[in-house]
Amino acid sequence: MSWQTFLLHVFTYGILVYSMILLTFYLLIGAFSILETRSYLHKNSFTDYRMLASSTEAPTMSILAPAYNEGPTIIENVRSLLSLHYNNLDLIVINDGSKDDTLEQLIKAYDLYKADFYVTQLIKTKKVNGIYRSHNPVYRKLTVVDKENGGKADALNVGINIARSDYFVCIDVDCVLEQDAILKLAKPFLESSTHRVIAAGGVVRVANSCEIEGGRLVKVHLPKKFLPRIQTLEYIRAFLLSRMAWTRLNGLLLISGAFGAFDREIVINCGGYHTDTVGEDMELVVRMRRYMEEREEPYKVGFIPDPLCWTEAPSSYRILGRQRNRWTRGTIETLRSHKKMFFNPNYGILGMLSYPYWFFFEFLAPIIEFLGTIGIIIYFFTYAINWSAVVIMIGVICIGILYSIFAILMEVLTYNQYKQRKDILKLVLVAILEPFIFHPFVVWSAVLGNISLLRKQNSWGEMTRQGFAANKNPR
Amino acid sequence: MLTIKTHLYSSFIIYWDIQSIALLAIVILMVCLLSFMLLYLLVKAGHEKKHTYWRSKSDTLIHKAVFDDEEKIDDMFIEETLGSDNLKKNRYFRKILTEEIISAKKNISGAAADNLIDLYRLFELDKYAIRNLNHLKWYIRAKAIHELTTMQISELVDHLHLFINDPNEYVRMEAQSALVQFNGFEGLSFLDTIAYPISDWQQIKLLQLLSHLPPSSIDTTPWFESKNSSVAVFALKLARNYNRFEQHDAIAKCLDHSDAKVRLEAILCLNEIYTDETSDHLIGRFLKESLKHQLAMIRVMQTLGTERDILFLTDLLNHESDQLKLDAARALAHASNNGMAALEAYSEQSEQDITEIVMHIKREMSV
Repeated sequence: MSWQTFLLHVFTYGILVYSMILLTFYLLIGAFSILETRSYLHKNSFTDYRMLASSTEAPTMSILAPAYNEGPTIIENVRSLLSLHYNNLDLIVINDGSKDDTLEQLIKAYDLYKADFYVTQLIKTKKVNGIYRSHNPVYRKLTVVDKENGGKADALNVGINIARSDYFVCIDVDCVLEQDAILKLAKPFLESSTHRVIAAGGVVRVANSCEIEGGRLVKVHLPKKFLPRIQTLEYIRAFLLSRMAWTRLNGLLLISGAFGAFDREIVINCGGYHTDTVGEDMELVVRMRRYMEEREEPYKVGFIPDPLCWTEAPSSYRILGRQRNRWTRGTIETLRSHKKMFFNPNYGILGMLSYPYWFFFEFLAPIIEFLGTIGIIIYFFTYAINWSAVVIMIGVICIGILYSIFAILMEVLTYNQYKQRKDILKLVLVAILEPFIFHPFVVWSAVLGNISLLRKQNSWGEMTRQGFAANKNPR
Repeated sequence: MLTIKTHLYSSFIIYWDIQSIALLAIVILMVCLLSFMLLYLLVKAGHEKKHTYWRSKSDTLIHKAVFDDEEKIDDMFIEETLGSDNLKKNRYFRKILTEEIISAKKNISGAAADNLIDLYRLFELDKYAIRNLNHLKWYIRAKAIHELTTMQISELVDHLHLFINDPNEYVRMEAQSALVQFNGFEGLSFLDTIAYPISDWQQIKLLQLLSHLPPSSIDTTPWFESKNSSVAVFALKLARNYNRFEQHDAIAKCLDHSDAKVRLEAILCLNEIYTDETSDHLIGRFLKESLKHQLAMIRVMQTLGTERDILFLTDLLNHESDQLKLDAARALAHASNNGMAALEAYSEQSEQDITEIVMHIKREMSV
């Protein structure tokens, strides 16, 4: 056997084995997600959230909303957050050294004054310039913090220092939350009597083209533009299938930075958000889990499949590329920081399943896919094409489409946010087009993310949003 | 070149033969999934029409039962309203009617509620629900208990003891809630026998249900010693909510409980039920506790602290935890009329700078 043939076989069978394991994971994720979603829906049918809304026994919650240059939308967003249904709730807006008039607008709109406030340094942060409270008792739940620019993680750490609550909810200030979002997110912390729930995540949905008025979601529409629409499918797949399945196994490693609740005491004990990573949301969850595993305390990370948080997805390839580049760097940084857990039985599911899955199928997948595609192109031009590899590739693409269709089916069977039949058909069309149009771009962005990390580029990347103002009556 | 091409072609044929079956299977699966989804959407659209039709019939019945107090709810009533009483045998209608009656009953009381109960019984929905109490699926059992409780079907009470230690949490929760709704505070007797922990969620629910009843002078002390820690926690919450001042000593004794959750609840309870000696109990236990519990104790001291606690609280201003220092300063300022003066005096004399803490407390007190 010549070395070329050997290489060809290694390449082909390597891809085959990898694809088979990936397929097995897809099947398991699908099965576990069905079980978990069914269980959640049954349990939820007995839940009366109104009871919690009016109860003084409800745990205290703080919403932490970091804001950077949010001037055009901040007033409406804060008003929306202040109107959420929950009894023991306060809102902490952290102005992370905005260069625009975010702070001035807040002062004016909410009648704020600079208050004498002792900020405890439970977690070390950049300098706090001032704490603002309102003269108006209507806004007694609102605290605005003005601080030196230090990034989202640093802003959240300031919020954690200032909060006095049992739990905190971190959100992106420009997200739109359902009115009962906090009630639903609080439930996992209260219902487990055998395990301590250290964090709970909620589903994030794409809000592009949805009708939003006064900071509230009025009507759901499928995004009109192709990129947000394809991300709608991506979000459904990620949240309804993957995260639900990992929740079933108690192996969830990621709670979206846009919307998640955390046990404040555990977060403080873990040292808060790390400011030296761009994937601070995932890193914190992994560190919290590791902390609990090392103390051998029974714990859980919860997840709510209800659509509770709506966000604007990037609608240009430039912004999307930056986002995916950052997500890749965040994943690698987190996996690198916690490499001790890799196939380490001392960490249970976390070490033996969750971490390896993220390593092989989240971090390595785009690299393998990229190299595989290059390999096939090279073989094609050298007339040594291995048809087996090509067929495997076609098979993997078909399985990807099948998986997306299954995700759409799950959406239809559960929350069915897109009521019109033509919207579902559009999503199916998107599922078929995705592997050829969107997926190569995502893979390429991930490869660039790896390169950026090797070149030690650790910028967050500017996320320009169009805002929801233009989304009123989109059709 | 021709040989290579031939080789490529023949290798393609071989691999294609083997793998085409797998590929075909995936494509067939994809088509099946798509067809199922489209079929489901079509069926659902038809189902929605059917649902709207039966729902309007059910709405008519309920509307008449609720708004016409004088109406006698019997077979005649159904016939007069809907033109036929055959609907009793219509499974689909029964399901919708049950949902509608339950939903309406939750928001209605008095004669209208009694009419709804009569309507429920007239359709023999209670019999179906009682039959479902033995169903293998937990959510059907739990739903049956929930339904019968909402409709105040007293026959359920005889069955409830079977579910108090049901392996399924939701069945247990519904059974516990049912006992409280039927028997009031006496229904809490399940606390004597419950083997499973009661979640915080369920505790909130039970307290909420009890809040609708006239206040009781229930003695919760026997449950403080329950082997089930969640029972002790719940009993402490009851004592706090119903101001059981005579239970103070038993509550203070819980500060030495082996379970941290019970100790924390006892601390919180003492915030409402305290005597002149309470702060001594807290101070006596202070150094043995975690920071979380120490903070809770200091927050309680803010309520019950007196002149004689000033020294203890002043000492805490040297504590390494900033959070505890702030809370101690707050408790000190509230401890007596001289508290704020003591805090300011300490601030001036102390080597450590606590000016910001003093300013913070002053601002809070001025609001």
